[in-house]
Amino acid sequence: MPEPTTEPLLEVRGLVKHYPLTSGILFKKQVGAVKAVDGVDFHLARGETLGIVGESGCGKSTVAKMLVNLERPTAGEIRYKGEDITRLSGRALKSVRRNIQMVFQDPYTSLNPRMTVGDIIGEAYDIHPEVAPKGDRRRRVQDLLDVVGLNPEYVNRYPHQFSGGQRQRIGIARGLALRPEIIVADEPVSALDVSVQAQVINLLARLQSEFDLSYIFIAHDLSIVRHISDRVGVMYLGRIVETGRDAEIYDHPTHPYTQALLSAVPVPDPEAREHRERIILAGDVPSPTSIPSGCRFRTRCWKARERCALEVPALAVPAEFRSVSGPAAHDSACHFAEEKQVVPPEETGDGPGPSSGDRFGN
Amino acid sequence: MLLEVRDLHVEFHTRDGVARAVNGVSYGVDAGETLAVLGESGSGKSVTAQTVMGILDVPPGRITAGEILFEGRDLLKLKEEERRKVRGAEMAMIFQDALSALNPVLTVGAQLAEMFTVHRGMSRKDAHARAVELMDRVRIPAARERVRQYPHQFSGGMRQRIMIAMAMALEPKLIIADEPTTALDVTVQAQVMDLLAELQRELRMGLILITHDLGVVADVADRIAVMYAGRIVETAPVHDIYKAPAHPYTRGLLESIPRLDQKGQELYAIKGLPPNLTRIPPGCAFHPRCPMAQDVCRTDVPPLYDVTESGAERGSACHFWRECLHA
Repeated sequence: MPEPTTEPLLEVRGLVKHYPLTSGILFKKQVGAVKAVDGVDFHLARGETLGIVGESGCGKSTVAKMLVNLERPTAGEIRYKGEDITRLSGRALKSVRRNIQMVFQDPYTSLNPRMTVGDIIGEAYDIHPEVAPKGDRRRRVQDLLDVVGLNPEYVNRYPHQFSGGQRQRIGIARGLALRPEIIVADEPVSALDVSVQAQVINLLARLQSEFDLSYIFIAHDLSIVRHISDRVGVMYLGRIVETGRDAEIYDHPTHPYTQALLSAVPVPDPEAREHRERIILAGDVPSPTSIPSGCRFRTRCWKARERCALEVPALAVPAEFRSVSGPAAHDSACHFAEEKQVVPPEETGDGPGPSSGDRFGN
Repeated sequence: MLLEVRDLHVEFHTRDGVARAVNGVSYGVDAGETLAVLGESGSGKSVTAQTVMGILDVPPGRITAGEILFEGRDLLKLKEEERRKVRGAEMAMIFQDALSALNPVLTVGAQLAEMFTVHRGMSRKDAHARAVELMDRVRIPAARERVRQYPHQFSGGMRQRIMIAMAMALEPKLIIADEPTTALDVTVQAQVMDLLAELQRELRMGLILITHDLGVVADVADRIAVMYAGRIVETAPVHDIYKAPAHPYTRGLLESIPRLDQKGQELYAIKGLPPNLTRIPPGCAFHPRCPMAQDVCRTDVPPLYDVTESGAERGSACHFWRECLHA
């Protein structure tokens, strides 16, 4: 993986998306809003992978859609190389969109069943003809198929002739067609079988170094996010509640939601499982139409006190960690942040781990 | 043994030919025991469960051989009428997608109460009272009011609790849970699995947990059976399988899980794709994807070898289980 540079390629500030709820048939009036994304900040450096984790309904997919301009933000800025792309339109917007592409979750519904693979991947060149001259497109599409590990002769086949994993490769080839700088991948492997997931993760990692890509990798599978990400943001109910480098989040979480999320992940090692503490949260995620006052996690938090209902915690390094340097000193939106190790550090050489993994010659 | 499946074969007639979904599956569950059946899509794990439950669509499905012994009786020999009495009262099933498993136009209370009016001949009033009790038992807050609500008014986790309540209603001896938490978020998954495990202990039921998630398996199962292309390729107590898998497919699955100390490196990936069930490879079905395959694997179907070395019984359908176990 290339060393990420410090200058941000993408910077998101105060991103908000509210969907209005209306009542009345003839005279619609707004009675409320679904606050899908409610103030999100993050940045992405060149060559870096930012993982975003959260449960369904936390707003992570809405963030992805706003980044590729499939949704217009209600408020906030998305700065690409310093320029706020939410204010762009026409030709300027089109040229920016070329550089930020998306890979979708479901390889079954995100490919048009009536188009051939060649047309699906090559369609991007109809919209951005400056990238590839007309005579050159077929060859480019075949090159892309080769890059993602598919037979270039499949260019005239239809999506239904491929398996799920192969379809996701087609989706990735389409994302790469315009040589973007940023790829937003929204749950790119969650629809795939376990044995195929690893193949696609490896492909994404290889493409990143080959094409110098930056990834926003959105998923609910915490172990996959950790594997591929340099930094991780944890979202809850429309906000990032904790963010930091992967080891800071996974080994030294300070926000109670992150701790609960990590402790709830089933660990496929019966022995590691016996050493860990399990935090089982009560209840369900509140509705994004009526977000709790103060800290939005307080209704499920075992540490919640009066202050949590009154005061919204800011996403910053908590006061108690500000003076120390170490992995616990990272942004966490909690009034009572404290470090807690929920997942015991893994040991090498135990079980069929990587220490013995080379026996297959991989 | 509470339930014993012996050499079950199920096939489907499709336009592309005969799909052999289940090719000689044998497994057993005792009262109070949890057996996890692990496999990818198309491995035959759900078809086996549906056959045990007696809800397989026939046709296109066809049971060509095998026995399903439930407390010694072969369920496949029972008449449909007798089978209906077993289903629900003696064994029950929990499905992956609670929203489509529940009837959207009936209140959850009516659906729960139906269990008691149909199987136990209770009056509607008594059955309603039992429905409220059940909802309380699976910890649905304000059960008395919510019993009158419809499935869409519940969250995913709550709906799965209602499914569990419905399965538990008649205190069956066996529960088959087909991917019960796959559609749920991780924090809710933990709640639902805990509830299921608690009720199972209390009622000393046998539980068959069908899943593709190695993590869920490790959390709750006593024994595990790994399926591939319609066969059981490995069976063992959970601890043993994690420490030293005896089949290259199981080993591949375990190694493809991202691990901390592998960060930034390439993940181990099983090459290729699961086979098409209408054209299962000859010999060992896994051989085209197997890093250990030899000539014998291409010609001879491996039996489920007894690979017990110490302690609990283990089996592996690999000609080279010794090499795999001690690799």
